[in-house]
Amino acid sequence: MWKQNKFWQQAGTWLGLLMLLAAVTACNFTQSAFAQTANNAGSAFAAAETTLAYEHAGKITPAYASSSFLSYQSELSGTDQSLISQATGDKRTLHRLLALYMPAMQVVNAPCLSNSCNWQKQLTQLKNASAAFNEAGS
Amino acid sequence: MKKQWLSITLGIVTATGGFLDAGTIATAGEAGAKFGLGLIWAVIVATIAVIMLVEMVGRFSAVSKKTYAEAIRENLGFRFYLFPLISELIAESLMLAAELGGISISISLLTGIPWHTLFPFVAIGIWILAWRAPFSLIENGPALLGLATLAFIAGIIALGGVPTHLFPTLWHPDFQQGTGADYLYLVAAILGSTISPYLLHFYSSGAREESWSTSSLILNRVTAIMGMGFGSMGAIALVVLSAIVLQPLQIGSSTLGELGLVLAKPFGVIGTYLFAIALFATCLGAALEVLLAVSYNIAQGFGWEWGEDKKPAEAARFNLVITIFLLIAVVIGLIGIDPLKLALFASTVIALFLPISLAPFLILMNDKQYLGEHTNGRFTNIVMVCILIMALLVAIVSLPLEIITGGG
Repeated sequence: MWKQNKFWQQAGTWLGLLMLLAAVTACNFTQSAFAQTANNAGSAFAAAETTLAYEHAGKITPAYASSSFLSYQSELSGTDQSLISQATGDKRTLHRLLALYMPAMQVVNAPCLSNSCNWQKQLTQLKNASAAFNEAGS
Repeated sequence: MKKQWLSITLGIVTATGGFLDAGTIATAGEAGAKFGLGLIWAVIVATIAVIMLVEMVGRFSAVSKKTYAEAIRENLGFRFYLFPLISELIAESLMLAAELGGISISISLLTGIPWHTLFPFVAIGIWILAWRAPFSLIENGPALLGLATLAFIAGIIALGGVPTHLFPTLWHPDFQQGTGADYLYLVAAILGSTISPYLLHFYSSGAREESWSTSSLILNRVTAIMGMGFGSMGAIALVVLSAIVLQPLQIGSSTLGELGLVLAKPFGVIGTYLFAIALFATCLGAALEVLLAVSYNIAQGFGWEWGEDKKPAEAARFNLVITIFLLIAVVIGLIGIDPLKLALFASTVIALFLPISLAPFLILMNDKQYLGEHTNGRFTNIVMVCILIMALLVAIVSLPLEIITGGG
């Protein structure tokens, strides 16, 4: 019984050490938290832009678009706070991203899915935000 | 004999529900969107592993007339049986919540109703199906709807095939600076989402529900290869489509709705319907499989009466587990985490516990008391050891990568 316990203790220790080694190694292959957040937001804004464009091109239904925009909302909400807390240094990039975030987020919260409003302007706002966030994340 | 061959649908539903599920769709979509064709190798490796495992577990149940869970308890003792059981309960409750979320999102994409609103109704629907539907309905219903996943292959053809500039990403993926950890994380998640223990318990129990015997061994082999092959084709096609459509647009496929754009590009509105149906079918099949697999596992391990074709009163505790486990998944789902993120997380948790779930294979599949002359050959044992080593490596890296990458 004692020998068995010792075996499991040793196995657990080795497993823990290997996990730690994997974590340390993986840290060298990963982006900073700020770049990761910017990248994810850029990707979500790009998805929102394509969704809006496809909806007005008749490639997807308004129901599909509004359901997708609900997901983009939860994906993007709080990004500004995360960027502020993760920013280390380059304040100009941070301010530029925050300036683009607000109007783009308004589009995500209230996308224009009919022709009665200026959806082309919304498309431009999403495109600008997507490009800037993706650049900051790369 | 004809009836036996007809039961090949068992393989198809196990493939659409077990191979293709919210986890596979999430990982395949993200893999293609981020790394082009650079992770197709991981899907192929996982497919080979799952074909071998499904063939083994089917052979075991057909010859020994016992399920995988029964044999673990009988051969390795009740205390050992609890190890894989607990690990599977943790991982599969997360996966079931993700599958329920996937069904809700598929209906939301068709109707525009928020998926959070639909979630409780979906859970009730699944409970009714699992409680009352006969095994044949659970087997055939999602299998037929699952044929919508063929739309992923049709989508590639409609877009003019795989562009030649993507081929080099097969062996030289597009790495942006600092995305190495994301790549490794997706490898772990692909393996975790493909080699799911619930798939093995469902298949093993299904073989007993259909009274397989030694005369079913060829059928078992064909089912394993064809069924898993079908699921794998769908997953690979989704990787390719994401690489063609989403990668140039710099869309990372972080929600299920954006993943549907891959079929909207070639087919327009019909494409989005096909995507929603494919998502609905695969998540429905998988939700039922996960739910039943856990109930089978517990009932068989504890020696209770079990069987989907039995009336609830005849297998009361088996049916009670269905209800309790579903309630746990509903509570997890109501927290409101995006189903795609939950599916990715669940796949990583499955990867973490995979060696515990698969280790008994090596012992049971070489036990002549159970399998007589049908024990594993040398080649199969070597492959099994390779799968276990791979599972151990994936388990070691999965948790650190989940923390570092923040879930991809």
